[in-house]
Amino acid sequence: MSKSTRTAAGFRRAADAMLRGSAARSVMLRISASAIPADPTEQLGLAVPQFQDIELAPVVFRTAAARLAESKANQRELIVSATAVEALTGLHGFASARALFASAFGVLIDDVLLTITGVTELEAGGAIYAYRIELREAIAEAV
Amino acid sequence: MQRAKDTFYIAVRDRIASLNLARTVLLRGILRPGVLVEENELAVESWPNDAFRLRWTALSIDVDDEMPLAALRCEIVYATAGDSGNGGMNRGRQMAAMDAELAAAVGQSPQNAVKMDYAAASGPASLKTKIFWGEVIFGPLVLEGEQISRTATVDIFSYQEAGEL
Repeated sequence: MSKSTRTAAGFRRAADAMLRGSAARSVMLRISASAIPADPTEQLGLAVPQFQDIELAPVVFRTAAARLAESKANQRELIVSATAVEALTGLHGFASARALFASAFGVLIDDVLLTITGVTELEAGGAIYAYRIELREAIAEAV
Repeated sequence: MQRAKDTFYIAVRDRIASLNLARTVLLRGILRPGVLVEENELAVESWPNDAFRLRWTALSIDVDDEMPLAALRCEIVYATAGDSGNGGMNRGRQMAAMDAELAAAVGQSPQNAVKMDYAAASGPASLKTKIFWGEVIFGPLVLEGEQISRTATVDIFSYQEAGEL
């Protein structure tokens, strides 16, 4: 194993340990089932797709980063372990973490569904050690 | 009104598909013709490029006639960043191709279609009247970084049949 590979793996282990030690918790990623090919009822909004909730852990939910969006819906951030994301990506047959998040309808935190507005890779030592998921409360939830 | 909206979407979708089989969009893991109705899809922060997105906006109903005439405005939004393989330098050509496809699909004769009820329990059913629409009006190009987009509008008219919502 080269030195750079060892360093990258070390960064990831350190990040995982830091996440677990930072009041980490689990949340549910809500993904929709694949559309039905050539089915016009889904395209016309007549049929509702199936949803599946999969557990994401360890994550850190950053309520301190909340700020008011133009839409008056609070924005929040979630830091997720890259190790956990990669395990889920493989387990559920997604081609990449990007594809996993692209198919996600939202993140369920304490029975509140938040919309994903952006995903950023956090990188150190040439390896992705975590993902920052930007979330927005549904407009209907905003007070 | 919903039947008119559904009928117009299916008409445009099928016409675009017959004009350019390669105009497709990947949505929820399925490749389908590159036309979608925003309000019929899951809410997302960003929509895929190189596809036509239908957005229903204005509505007016003329109740003076024996059959009320509904006029619905449909905004058709489309954007492209060109092909990543050539650094997006063909985005102008991609936009021109989409302009031409939309003009051909909407302007193709006849500019009407038999109104359909896609929610009927027994499957899609034809109604007695047709929907009809005017010419497509193209808005100005909007430049956002490497992406260019345009919004076109079409007015669709539909007589409200007895019992129709």
